[in-house]
Amino acid sequence: MKFSREPSPARDASRLTLRLWDFTGTAMLNLFMFLFLVAYLSPLPFMVIASLTPRDQFLDARAPILPSERIKFNYEGKDLIVYQVPMEDGIRHLALYKPSRQSSEFIDPANPAGGTIVWEGNWRSLRTVYQFKPTLQNFEDFLGVAQMSVYFKNTIIVALITEIGILFSSIAVAYGFSRFRIPGIKYIFFLLIATIMIPGNITLVPTYYLFSGHMLDWIGTWLPLIVPHFFGSAIMIFLLRQNFKSIPRDLDEAAMLDGAGPLRILISVILPQSVPVVTTVALLHFFYIWNETRLSSLYLGIAPNLQMVSFAVQRNQTYFFTPEALMVGALMVMVVPVIVLFLSQRLFMQDMIITQIEK
Amino acid sequence: MSVLNPSRVLFKFKPRKLTRLQQETRIGLLFLSPWLIGFVLLKALPILAALVFSLTDFRMLTPEETEFIGLENYIRFFGDTTAGASLFGSLGYFLVTVPLEMVVALGLAAIFTSDRLKNKRISRTLIFMTSIIPSTSIFFIFLGSLAYADRLFFKPYNLPPIEGFGLLLPFMALWSIGPGFLIMYSAMESVPREVYEAARVDGAGPFARFIFITLPMISPAIFFTLVVNLTGAFGGAVLLDRGYILSFSLSPMESYINDTMFSQANLGYASALAWITFAVMMTITILLFRSSKRWVYFPEEDEENEI
Repeated sequence: MKFSREPSPARDASRLTLRLWDFTGTAMLNLFMFLFLVAYLSPLPFMVIASLTPRDQFLDARAPILPSERIKFNYEGKDLIVYQVPMEDGIRHLALYKPSRQSSEFIDPANPAGGTIVWEGNWRSLRTVYQFKPTLQNFEDFLGVAQMSVYFKNTIIVALITEIGILFSSIAVAYGFSRFRIPGIKYIFFLLIATIMIPGNITLVPTYYLFSGHMLDWIGTWLPLIVPHFFGSAIMIFLLRQNFKSIPRDLDEAAMLDGAGPLRILISVILPQSVPVVTTVALLHFFYIWNETRLSSLYLGIAPNLQMVSFAVQRNQTYFFTPEALMVGALMVMVVPVIVLFLSQRLFMQDMIITQIEK
Repeated sequence: MSVLNPSRVLFKFKPRKLTRLQQETRIGLLFLSPWLIGFVLLKALPILAALVFSLTDFRMLTPEETEFIGLENYIRFFGDTTAGASLFGSLGYFLVTVPLEMVVALGLAAIFTSDRLKNKRISRTLIFMTSIIPSTSIFFIFLGSLAYADRLFFKPYNLPPIEGFGLLLPFMALWSIGPGFLIMYSAMESVPREVYEAARVDGAGPFARFIFITLPMISPAIFFTLVVNLTGAFGGAVLLDRGYILSFSLSPMESYINDTMFSQANLGYASALAWITFAVMMTITILLFRSSKRWVYFPEEDEENEI
């Protein structure tokens, strides 16, 4: 809207207030989001700190929070641990030379030639001296044990194949549920919703039987993980159907009058308006496959070369159930989804949605 | 050859001319066919088998001793106080976590549609990221952070330590808002901008626009999130799996079913419990669908498509 009126001081002032108001609003909004994120992610530093911490630091309750290592002093070819020793002239950092319950002998690292210093008391009551030093040893240990590259490759292959299947069939089925008058369709939809609600573990045994050597003989292959997705996922169909139904039918009907068939309408009218929700489905499915461990543990337990990231990491973690190993595993599993998530953001932008059809 | 005029051949067979509705039905069923075929081939038999199991005393370690015991498993449920408590526990879990999760997800999604917010890509990634942290690590992160907070802030100022487990449930709910947030955000992004512009010209402020435009326009997505969170609380399908091990679940009822199934290997009773849970869930869902006619907005309402 363009105003062609004469500029007046009053309007200038009001424009200035408006701008100030606008600026304050923007600042408040961004500040709020920043504070929210700080609070929301406040437990995350633990994850990073723990993954960089040497294992034995967790065993010392009085150790500092940040990843550190004990200061050691090399004396006559031996590494001596440095302790905080309370002396008459304050606390001194001395290396323990001869430990004993009643009195121990220490060496002063600053003056090794000065000989041993005797301290009366139990050396176990002393605190060790730490210095800040993050370690990558945990990551090296993790990569050394697990064949991570194989697992990453496997997961990406399975995720991409099933992604194609789930997108094609779920979109088609959701379109069928949202645009066609079929007698009794509400009962079919009811059935679809019912399959979402049946606890998965209860059909586990019969489903396993179906895939086992008795019937299909698919155990130890990727087929039990891949094939079901080609028939669509009930939950994704429900999500897409909700979105397709909320798209007005005016454009469908216009396209139909132009002679477009149902498939053409789906591709050139419905899908361009559903880019955000289709992206959501694709992302959620990718993360689902990435985090999936139940089915892989059932069907791929006997095929180590076909296993996938999350299950392999979880299996490793049951052997090394220590804080730093768990955090390293979690970080390794999260890297790829976070990158995918970050890169996919462009698809959510409003510009991607074409709401007008060229006429 | 001119005798074989295609139109004449067609004319000769006189196909029964399909009405428009019949034609629409056929094309519609064609689109539904992937799911229908998948249901018949892969889902129907296991579901029927689970129904049959619930009428037997099937134990996984001794399958050959299985006997048909009728409704005994279902009767047993009514004397099983743990099962009843777990069912109500699941209901409580649903009532505590779902409103929290949905309100926060909705609020965040609304903030993210604002043009004034900077660095959206990073913030969105960070908000979603917490929902993909594997299950084995998340409890360590929670307890470890509490221990850090205790050491850094509470002990030095002589404050009482935090009771960790009371906070665990809201914490888990908040750190799982990723999928709900993504769904609501994508629904909001699908609302045509022209609608907002029209409302702005009419003088509607941001809150009025949120309540009178955004909420009705994304009500199908809100409804979806509600139904899916309900199934998650009782042990049905979930949108995002954190990779819990087979016998573990945050849902009390699912945990009890898993315990019956894996620790006691009593598949018969576990199936009966699952069907009872299913009945409760389905009842709530049907009530939700009934209510959805009042508050879920679709541009065209037709009786056929609604439950």
